[in-house]
Parts: sequence; C-alpha cells; structure tokens
Amino acid sequence: MTRPLQSRIYWLVPCALVGALLSSVPPARAADEPREWLEKMNKALATRNYDGTFFHISGGRVETMRIVHRVRSGRVTERLQSLDGSGREFVRANDELTCYLPDQHTVLVEPRQDRGPFLGSLPQFDSSVSDFYRIEALPEAHILGRAARVIAVNPKDQFRFGYRLWLDEKTAMPLKTQLCDSRGAVLEQIFFARLEMPDNIPDSDLAPTVHTDGMRWVRQGPAVDNASAALAAYRASQLPPGFRLTVQGAQTLGDASAPASHLVYSDGLATVSVFVEEQRSSDSGVATAPDSPTPPPMQGLARVGSGYAFSTVVQGHQVTAVGEVPAQTVEFIAHSVKISSGGEIPRH
Amino acid sequence: MSEQIREQVSAFLDGELPNTETELLLKRLTRDGELRESFGRYALIGEALRGAGSQILTRGFASRVNHAIDGEPVQAAGHAHPARSSRWWRPLAGVTVAAGVATVAIVALQQRAIAPGVTGAAPVTTQNVVASTATAPNQLPAQGGGGPREALSYTVPATSADAPSAIEPARLTNYVFAHSKYSSGLGQRGVLADLLIEDDEPQLMPVQRVAQPSTTPDTRVAP
Repeated sequence: MTRPLQSRIYWLVPCALVGALLSSVPPARAADEPREWLEKMNKALATRNYDGTFFHISGGRVETMRIVHRVRSGRVTERLQSLDGSGREFVRANDELTCYLPDQHTVLVEPRQDRGPFLGSLPQFDSSVSDFYRIEALPEAHILGRAARVIAVNPKDQFRFGYRLWLDEKTAMPLKTQLCDSRGAVLEQIFFARLEMPDNIPDSDLAPTVHTDGMRWVRQGPAVDNASAALAAYRASQLPPGFRLTVQGAQTLGDASAPASHLVYSDGLATVSVFVEEQRSSDSGVATAPDSPTPPPMQGLARVGSGYAFSTVVQGHQVTAVGEVPAQTVEFIAHSVKISSGGEIPRH
Repeated sequence: MSEQIREQVSAFLDGELPNTETELLLKRLTRDGELRESFGRYALIGEALRGAGSQILTRGFASRVNHAIDGEPVQAAGHAHPARSSRWWRPLAGVTVAAGVATVAIVALQQRAIAPGVTGAAPVTTQNVVASTATAPNQLPAQGGGGPREALSYTVPATSADAPSAIEPARLTNYVFAHSKYSSGLGQRGVLADLLIEDDEPQLMPVQRVAQPSTTPDTRVAP
C-alpha cells in the first residue's frame, strides 16, 4: 500500500524538525523509540491484511512458506502454508487452529482462542522485561527495496534468546527477523521475499488447498483453566531470573486418558510450559483402567523448533518443560518442579 | 548453481535484489530443492562471516560468502545439514515409527544433533554429542546434583526398543501444540513453522536411560 504523496510530504516537515532537534531529544525519549516501533509492528501483524511469501532459515535449511492474514469485521483468519512439497497448511479461523498434514494423512485440530498472529508478536516492554532484555535501535537498512528500521532485543543472560527485526519504514511489518542466542549468534531467521498488504483478501486465499478425504482427524482436548488445590500441588521451586508463573491449568493432550497439569512460566517475553503427568505404572499405587495405556517414563533433551524440550521424572511424575528458550532454561525449570504430598492431577 | 543465480542469491541476502528478480528467485527456490540448500548455506555462512555482533549487511559481503563456499565446500555441506550428513542418525533410518500422530511428531519436531547453545553452524563430528549446559553448577537446582552431571547421549542404545524412552514423539507433539497457545512472542512463529516443515528422514529423540525404569511392561498402543 502506497502512502499518498501528500501524506509523505506532510511527514517530511516533522521528520526534518526531529533531525534538527535530535541533540535536544531527552535520552528517555530516544530509548522509547525502538519500543514504539515494536508496538507498531505488533499492531501491523495483528490488524493489517497481508499476503506474503517468506523463507524460514534454520540451521542452514531453508523452507519457503506463504502467510495470508485477514482481518474482517474484527475476525481474524490466517493461513500458513508450506510451499516446498510437504503441502502442510495451518489455518486459524473461528477460534480453531487446524493443521493439515497431507504427507502424514493427518489433520490436527485444537481450540485456539488466542488472538496472536501466526507470525508472532512481541509483548509490550515494561520495566520488568527491561531488566532482562536490552532493546536498541541499529542503523537503518534496506530489505526488499524498502527502507527498514532495525531493532535488536538482546538478552542480558544465557537463559533466554533475543531478536533482531528489520521493520518496514512504512508499514512496520517485519521484513526480516532473526532469533539469536545470548552471544548474538543467529539461530533462526525469516526473510520475506514478497509481501503485499491488500485492502481485501478473498476467501479463496484463506481456504486450505489440502484434500482431506481419508485423512485421520485428531482433536486436541480443550484446556481447563482453573486453580484447584490439586493443581497448586505442582510448582517450580526455583526459576531462572525473571521467570514467574503466569498460567496454570490442566489439559488433555491428544488421546491421553487423563489431563496433564500445565504450568506456564514467562519472563514477559519468553515462555516455558511445564506439563506434569502422574506416572501410572503398577508400582505407583495409582489405579489405572485395564485398557489404559501406560506411557513409559521419559528423560532427555529434544530440539523443538528454535527452542527445546526437556523431560524428566520427579517423584513419580513425568515433568516436561517446553519453550523457545535455551536448553539450560528448560532443564533448570523441569528439574526444579516439586510435587507436594497428596498432589494429584485432576481427572475428568 | 549458475553464476547468475548465485549473484541473485547474494544480492537478495544483501537486500539489493530488485523486486521483479526476487519474484523469479522465489519461484526457482520453491521448485528447486538443491538451490534451497545452496541458499541455506549462503545464509548460514553469511551470518557466521558477519560475526555474532555484526547485524548490518555490507557491500562486498556476497563475494566473501562466495569465497567461503568455494573454498570450503565439504565443510559448508556439513554445516548446512549436520543432522543429515553426520553419521549418528544413520542407524535410526530403518526404525519403524508408529503410525498416526507419532509419525507426525517425528517429522514435525526436528531432532538435530546440535548441542544446546550451539548454532546449526556447528559441525557434528562425534557420535556422542554432549548436551551439556553452559550453566554453572551452582545455578542448577539441587536435583541436578550440583556437580558434574551425566551427559545426555544423542545416540540410541541397541536396546532402545525395550528401554525407557526419551521424549516420545507423539507426546512431544502434543506438548508443543499445547505450549504454542501460550507462546505469545515471536517464538510461536518458530514453533509453528517447524511443525510445517517436512523432514526427510525419521529421527528418534535423543535417548538417555531413566534412573528409575518402569517395572511395568510397555503396553502402550501406538495411536
């Protein structure tokens, strides 16, 4: 979308004034500017229509994906599609996330009432976030032939990742983003190769192209958010600096016979989920139905996208921490989970 | 990769490729897996050459990338696909994976032979990749032992079929889906993007024996 020439000229005057008066800008104001750009980005990602193709680069591997995001009458519909052969697509509409995995003949469906766009967003940077991340503006650059603001969000310790974002000067859309570790090494990045922001997006651009005949449908159980006494029996006794409990609840995962306790810890930017499930083996003293599957105990570290998962057994419970954080953070949190006596995961 | 396409890729990474040519490059990349691999090497090596602290693209950078790729073809290939080019996973290729969600998880949640804290640029040169953390012992909870901790092994023991497993693929997928709902940051994009990506080979999770093995036979039925 092109801003009218008159509008651009209109902005030249204040911009020139800002340049001339730059030396008199209070430091606090200058520091706020990158935050304002991130807020602009969040708003653009959540409220604008866009249709783009981007490269997702992780570990030297490149995938091409298309994102279509439409906001119409306050309702958000999104489609994320792999263009590289797997044919996988995610569609979020009507408070449901549907994952079409034709190569696996599977469709995963999950209630998804959150409003966050597929491309993600960053939370507002309040003082608590600033304790653990340093945000700064870097010299401007050009991406896709457009002028871009470059913002860095640097972690102050090794328990979290940081970001660098190239934001379109006109729309604040992230033309390029990088996920970085605490040393600044790039772990994952996204390059937009094409990005359009049309006023209207037809339904056909948001409809999945996958034929679902004969595919297996798996519906994830709804989350049960409550704060029962039983749920309060599970807690991380120690946390990396800045992380705190933000959500607790229970959720039936996949076709499990009992819900898992789900704790969410966040430092305001990064989040880590902790799932606690009672080990229902014969020596645990917990009655199980004869046909109830008995999941084996698990222990280990796994790479999950740009983050990690770590699972271990604590006091007869399977504890798994998952998050877009360094490995040591999920390990730290999983190891620190304590189960109070009498604690039991609620059952439906 | 032809010289023309190489120049296009370089220009794109430098942010200097005109939009019309970007469209053409995009179409080529969508069709050509080999070109995507080369593109990935460019991007990966490019970041390494820029250095951790350098964020801004500079003119002439592309020629340095070309030089790096031309000069170190073997290393570059290894960097590009550590999990696929290293030997550690090969014994797993024939493992039969349970159907359904488990298979989904296997392909969705890419397990890579990458030690935590190390980027994909790091070559995997040994069969046992130590997944040690950089955390000082006194930062770990008491349960971690406070001293040297047993290294996690990314190799699968011969008895893995009967041993307590690492993170089971189907369950890991479910954890990730449930977690992504609360992942409000840009990290959600990474999680979802990874779930979109097709993996070439089934790969098991890193395995470590559990200290307290279950006495109950594994009667779980694959979904």
